[in-house]
Amino acid sequence: MTLTRILGAVALVAVVGASIFALFIVPADVNQGDAQRIMYVHVPSAWLAYLSFGVTALSGIAYLWRRDLRFDAVALAGAEIGVMFTAFAIWGGMMWGRPVWGVFWQWEDPRLTTTALLLALYLGYLLIRRLTEDPYRRATRAAVVGIVAAVDIPIVHFSVEWWRGLHQGPTIGSPDKVLHPSAPGLFVIALVGMVVAFTIAWSWLMVRRYQLARIEWQIEEHGRLGRISAARRAALATSPPAGEPVAGPGVEGA
Amino acid sequence: MNGLRADAAVAWAIARKDARAELRGRQATVSTLFFAALVLLLFGFALGPDARRLTEAAPGLLWLAIVFGSLLSVTRLHQLEVEDGALDELARYPVERYAIYLGKLLAGFAVVLVLGGVLLPVVAILYGISLGEAWPALVVTVLLGAIGLAAVGTFYAGVTVRMAAREVMLPLLMLPVVAPLLLAAVKATTAALAGDPLGDLGAWLQLLAAFDLVMIVAGAATYGYLLEE
Amino acid sequence: MPQTTIYAAPRTREQTPPPAVATHQLARLFGRSAALAGVTMRVAAGRTIALLGPNGAGKTTLLRILATSLRPSFGRAEIESIDIVARPDVVRRRVAYLSHATGLYDDLTGAENLAFTATMRSVPEPHAAVDRVLAEVGLTADADRRVRSYSAGMRRRLALGRLLLNDWAVVLLDEPHAALDADGMALVDRLLQRWHEAGVTILVASHQAERVTRLADGWARLDSGLLIETGGSGVEADAPDLVGVPAQVGRA
Repeated sequence: MTLTRILGAVALVAVVGASIFALFIVPADVNQGDAQRIMYVHVPSAWLAYLSFGVTALSGIAYLWRRDLRFDAVALAGAEIGVMFTAFAIWGGMMWGRPVWGVFWQWEDPRLTTTALLLALYLGYLLIRRLTEDPYRRATRAAVVGIVAAVDIPIVHFSVEWWRGLHQGPTIGSPDKVLHPSAPGLFVIALVGMVVAFTIAWSWLMVRRYQLARIEWQIEEHGRLGRISAARRAALATSPPAGEPVAGPGVEGA
Repeated sequence: MNGLRADAAVAWAIARKDARAELRGRQATVSTLFFAALVLLLFGFALGPDARRLTEAAPGLLWLAIVFGSLLSVTRLHQLEVEDGALDELARYPVERYAIYLGKLLAGFAVVLVLGGVLLPVVAILYGISLGEAWPALVVTVLLGAIGLAAVGTFYAGVTVRMAAREVMLPLLMLPVVAPLLLAAVKATTAALAGDPLGDLGAWLQLLAAFDLVMIVAGAATYGYLLEE
Repeated sequence: MPQTTIYAAPRTREQTPPPAVATHQLARLFGRSAALAGVTMRVAAGRTIALLGPNGAGKTTLLRILATSLRPSFGRAEIESIDIVARPDVVRRRVAYLSHATGLYDDLTGAENLAFTATMRSVPEPHAAVDRVLAEVGLTADADRRVRSYSAGMRRRLALGRLLLNDWAVVLLDEPHAALDADGMALVDRLLQRWHEAGVTILVASHQAERVTRLADGWARLDSGLLIETGGSGVEADAPDLVGVPAQVGRA
């Protein structure tokens, strides 16, 4: 428990510190102005969105291999936290796109469209989980769906990139709105700092969500065992054996 | 018998069984075709009457119709297992799970191929495009697209086969995954019809083939888990 | 690491062979209800055992788990000392299951259905086998009609015929007499007899207690997911554990 608390404290400090640095201290971009600062939040979000999905897919594989439901709990944590960061990344992307591109949505930006598809895949994954009651079938189905979805992501990315590359329409936005940091060194430090801080916060979130999932599972399992106990008692109460249940000679008991 | 040959025989037997049942049942294939053709007609109403706009949009509309049609088809092929509890029987045969998947995939591929084959001339007529010399390239595109749709569709039909909400879950799960297939197929079709001015037809076909390969491998590897209850 | 469990021989004077079917606290939940609440039983090889009990007692669930159509929620089961969860592929070659649902393809003919099964089960000389089976169950005349046109009794005969394409170590039958006329039921009895003589272990679930217990060596009665009592020879059971519900034994 305490280890998690320490992690949480470190995450908080890191995020606050990095944010202050990136949002207030680092000078604004020459071309894009303050709008560029959205990137400091958008990039880490996108990175974590993909990382989460990777974790979900890998945990799914681990579950299928080992059949340990703890892996499924990790996968669930990854999916829920991933959805959050994905939505955030898309929102950030749109907010950033408006001033820079002039539009909220740009089809040819492979990152934006791939992330939108990632959101769709996540939601499908969570929905499948919600619609399957039995915990073992749920874990199996989710794992399988997660794997195929994860395998699809790189293909999506490539296809959208090619889509853009081969398109010969006007270039995106105006040429001089390309990123032009006034202090490249600070820029990089700020970005890396935010990514690291966010990743620490992400791991804290993952741990907490995993612990919560474990507790949820224990409650559910307790309920399942309880139902079996109750069923046994009920059955024996209403239908008492006519004679003793026959046990063979010398055979091990229950 | 060599293991791989035995598996191939199993897959072939399943594909034949599905194809036979599908052909004899026939209502499903015919109504799917009808539905897809109707979709194309409606697109005409939605985007027309400017013939040029329709001609430009034709490849996209064609593939949308094929994708929607394939949703119905792959569901159908798993339905015949559900009707009398045949899926249980199938799962209990001592055969490789991936062979079952490949068998169902083959049957699905045949159905989607028929769909594509019929819709191509329909699109040519409705949207005024001449297929001309683009034939070979178009055939290859439809072939590759059909494989991909069958691979993904068979897989997700397997995921949702025992769910009450399968009719909405199948499209919900399958459509995001086939987005790159849709993209590549449309691009390839457009390029083929225009005579490949940018020289990118090959690239798009390669992307389609890569998609197909990845999805077949992923599906074959995981289908077995879907059969257990 | 999943491992095949070896049946520990009882410490008695004679060396008893391992049971053909053995379960240990076998349980299965469906959502909120426990279809099977912890069945521990052993069936000796070569015996015919009747599973009795009202609807919803868990007979079908038990058979389906043993047939590897269903994974247990808790507990363990072994067929010929092979764990059904760890090695289902091996178990499937040795165990036959006739379920409520006939599992046939409506748009295929009777012969085609059998031929498909023959291919799936690698039956040698499939054509001859299919013809033989069709004659045996009395469906030769209807072999080339689609199953869709069959009556319920004919479908059951065909499903029975499917079982005859192979030899089995264990046969699980769920209400085999249902939907059959007198001839059909006689056929079932004949087959039970034949299997019994061949040393096959048979579990038959049925409502029709009298008919089945006549043919069986022993019987077991289920109710509300528990095995309440047994009788006759060839089947033994242990009382369900009430105090401490066991942690899941073996992996799901």
